[in-house]
Amino acid sequence: MRGLNRFALTLLLVLSAAAVFGASASAADPCLTIGMLMGGAKNDAGYNQSHYDALMEVQRNLPCVKVIVAEYVSDSEAESVMETMIQQGAKLIIAAGFPFQYPAIAVAERHPDVKFIHPGGWEVRANFGNYFAKTQQTFFLMGVAAGMMTETNKLGFVAGMPLGFTLGNVNGFHLGARAVNPNVETHLVWTFSWGDTTKEAAATQALIDQGCDVITMHLDSPIAVLQAAEAAGVYSIGFMSLESQQFAPTGWVTGLGLTWGDFYTQNAQKVIDGTWAPGFIRMGLAEGFLEIAPFGPSVPQNVREFVLSVTEGFNAGLLNPFTGPIKDQNGVVRIAEGEAWGNEKMGDFDWLVEGIIGSPQ
Amino acid sequence: MTWTLIRGVVSGCIMFGVPLLYATLGEVIGQRAGMVNLGLEGILLVGASVGFAVTAETGNPFLGVAIAVLAGGVFNMLYAYLAVTRRANQLASGLALMFLGIGLSALIGKAYIGKRIVGLARYQIPGLAQLPWVTKTMFSYDVLVYLSVPVAVLVWWALFRTRWGLSLRTVGESPTAAYAAGRRVDLLRYQAQFLNGCLAGLAGAHLSLALAMAWTEGMTGGRGFIAVALVIFSRWHPLRAIVGAVLFGGAVTLQLQLQAQGTGISPFLLNMIPYVLTLGVLVLWAGSRRSAAPGGLGRVYYGED
Amino acid sequence: MRSALAGAAGGARRVWALAAARYAIILVIALAAYAAVLLVAGKDPIKAYVDIMNITLGTSNGLSEVIVRMIPLLLTAIAVALPSRLGLINVGGEGQLYMGAWLATWGAITFTSLPAGVFIPLLVVLGFVGGGSWAAIAGLLRAKGWVNETISTLLMNYIAPLIVGYFVYGAWRSADSSAYPQSAAFPAAARLPRFGDTRIHLGLLLALVALAAYWFVVYRTEWGLKMRAIGGNPEAARRLGIRVGLTMVVVLFVAGGVAGLAGMAEVSALYGRLRAGFSPGYGFVGFMISWLAGGSPLGMLAMSFLLAVVFSGGSVLQLTQGVPFAAVNVLMAIILFVVLVQPHFWRRRKA
Repeated sequence: MRGLNRFALTLLLVLSAAAVFGASASAADPCLTIGMLMGGAKNDAGYNQSHYDALMEVQRNLPCVKVIVAEYVSDSEAESVMETMIQQGAKLIIAAGFPFQYPAIAVAERHPDVKFIHPGGWEVRANFGNYFAKTQQTFFLMGVAAGMMTETNKLGFVAGMPLGFTLGNVNGFHLGARAVNPNVETHLVWTFSWGDTTKEAAATQALIDQGCDVITMHLDSPIAVLQAAEAAGVYSIGFMSLESQQFAPTGWVTGLGLTWGDFYTQNAQKVIDGTWAPGFIRMGLAEGFLEIAPFGPSVPQNVREFVLSVTEGFNAGLLNPFTGPIKDQNGVVRIAEGEAWGNEKMGDFDWLVEGIIGSPQ
Repeated sequence: MTWTLIRGVVSGCIMFGVPLLYATLGEVIGQRAGMVNLGLEGILLVGASVGFAVTAETGNPFLGVAIAVLAGGVFNMLYAYLAVTRRANQLASGLALMFLGIGLSALIGKAYIGKRIVGLARYQIPGLAQLPWVTKTMFSYDVLVYLSVPVAVLVWWALFRTRWGLSLRTVGESPTAAYAAGRRVDLLRYQAQFLNGCLAGLAGAHLSLALAMAWTEGMTGGRGFIAVALVIFSRWHPLRAIVGAVLFGGAVTLQLQLQAQGTGISPFLLNMIPYVLTLGVLVLWAGSRRSAAPGGLGRVYYGED
Repeated sequence: MRSALAGAAGGARRVWALAAARYAIILVIALAAYAAVLLVAGKDPIKAYVDIMNITLGTSNGLSEVIVRMIPLLLTAIAVALPSRLGLINVGGEGQLYMGAWLATWGAITFTSLPAGVFIPLLVVLGFVGGGSWAAIAGLLRAKGWVNETISTLLMNYIAPLIVGYFVYGAWRSADSSAYPQSAAFPAAARLPRFGDTRIHLGLLLALVALAAYWFVVYRTEWGLKMRAIGGNPEAARRLGIRVGLTMVVVLFVAGGVAGLAGMAEVSALYGRLRAGFSPGYGFVGFMISWLAGGSPLGMLAMSFLLAVVFSGGSVLQLTQGVPFAAVNVLMAIILFVVLVQPHFWRRRKA
């Protein structure tokens, strides 16, 4: 094996020759290049697809925009992927994975002329803004539907990583269910991953074994959970992409879809116009960041009407699910009487509401 | 409460032990012929992606399983070619196969992410499923679950009760002696690796067609390596592999069941148990030579030419 | 290497040309085979290779990212090469890397107020001891004759990331970002310095020093020459008066320590926090590199550079051609296959 160094040297020579011959000129210049990086697959019928579909909407709305997409980006790759996108001419980068906040900020500091937006983070810089949907509050509506549908009074929640935002979703869901059904329990299982499908199916099974008959989830892709619930003949509530309803044709109750298309189009337009400014943005159903999926065939008329009426009140701003007094699992009051938690607190949960069975870590 | 837990763990460890068992049985055959195949993870991925793609295209999960089995066997012939014919280092050849499997399965499966399939149907055991203390999910499994123990017995029978099995084990103990006794060393090793690949392909197909009913990149999550550990844990015996697979599958399920019940034991500690246990078993059996590792395991056989 | 150096100048040039031709052919086979894969996948292979070249080696940023990737690969390769001199097979670089990062993180979040001049050496020591102790367990099990080190290091690869997960999700979980399971941030003095405005960090220097030390010990000391001569024959070693058991433990400790440095450097220089699952399998690639290079120091340097280019190329191809990132594994595997198959023009002539 001696002389393998020559191997690499030869590689260098061959490849550099190729580079010299192949240096290519670019085609018609786009009005803006957008780079999007995500932690999973763009067609996962889940979180990543919601971002990708929105990006495609931007392209339909603004045909002069060019898009570059990187899937399955690991935390350790994120910085160099963004650097390469910038080299390819990206002026707007959508770092569409939760762990990409600090890598994106590091790149943003090196490239003040490039704008960055990141879903779910909390930092704001001159050229870095964050945004997310008000999922924690809106999960209340899903909880209302679940609380009315359950016969065993046990709801199941499969969740990926114990983050503050995820705990908020579980809390919102349980508060909604409890509002219509005081006897309800929500059982929570963490998979400690966003995309281990086999484990997600196993977790769903575990919840069903405990007697849960309505299952929901917060994972990259809801597919595995929806299908496992469907196979066992229990109800399910989807989250992330509206595409997911097809995976539970009979057990589907309803679901929440993330819809970023308008927001991305506005951002692209503002970058083109030179009027883009960073912000801490949280929007919900009324502003088009979220959509409630159609009800499934097994949902009775009275449930549909009730959920829709609560939704109206919710959209009119009459209802904040996180209004005290709210106690945690140990009976300690976490949100005091008269206090209400707003958008800026949604990442701060490190506790679970009374009646949730599971660990906040 | 406890009863629910036991029921859940039993039904879960069967479901999640089965793919581990198939992969382990394959590797037992391979290692009995004296070859360590670290490429199992790659074969599982190829089986899972091919099985899913075929099922998505044809709508027939049984065809998906059949093609995945064949794909696993054929794919593993690459490893056999390197490690048997070219006399290459087994560990390196296995890792190369693993990398190839990761890459190829990503290419094969790319178009099928987020696709919906009709997975393997589940059948209830008549009678048992009607018992009052049984939940909906107990005794309701797909056909690969029901076949797993018979396959383990078949592997045991083939290895320990047939002439072919004797030859194979002789090759594993000492290729030189086997050659002297007139056994066709290379051919037997190819056969062992083909079966190994088929069983790993089957395991992969079970993951994507019966458990997750979806294809995602890297969905095997290290189960190929767990299977290699299981071979050691079961000390190269197909029937002990059943115990090992149930135990390893049970560790994952127990952790999820405990969470669902609200008992807080760190899942990280519970997930460590299988590996620590395997190491412990190895230390415990260190002195004993009886039915331990095949003598020629992992060594390159250079032939007698 | 030594024989090449010792050879006459003219002969050396001819050997060089011949070797270069061989490697060029190997490379062409590998690239052509991968081009076929790309064609089947409906991509343009020529444009793909041009893109890889232009972006990874053609720009200073691309090149610096290649070097960043190369650091953990080189360190974990050395961690495999050193014990292989004794006939020990260390498949556990991945786990040792995690344990190095783990112990270094303990230091970084415990002694928060040290000056950089003390902190950096402390982290180096902790990273080394963390990875080293982990590997020494395998060494001890082997020296006692209980468990083969191949098996134990392989199994321990899966325990180490779980230990890291246990701490990151538990006791070490930082309070300042309740949203994310990661350790508290390393103090500024505990961040390995970087060169210029690239991400290349002090780890490069550590890797090169480790490589030089490896070369010196194996090729220039009496102990190393003895080891090379014995080549994994414990009986012969015993006759030479070497305490085999102790040597195994020490050598695996040092090897694991070098892998631990890789973990420490990744965490301290690149992220400044410990996170679960931060390594994308560097340890396994390191094993392949050491094996491909046959333990030759320059070979490992070259192969870790080559595979770093391949990995960087993977993320480039995804951006320019839409090839899934995981497909780089195919290119890597093809290179390995070509070397493993050992075509006739590659094989060493037997003396």
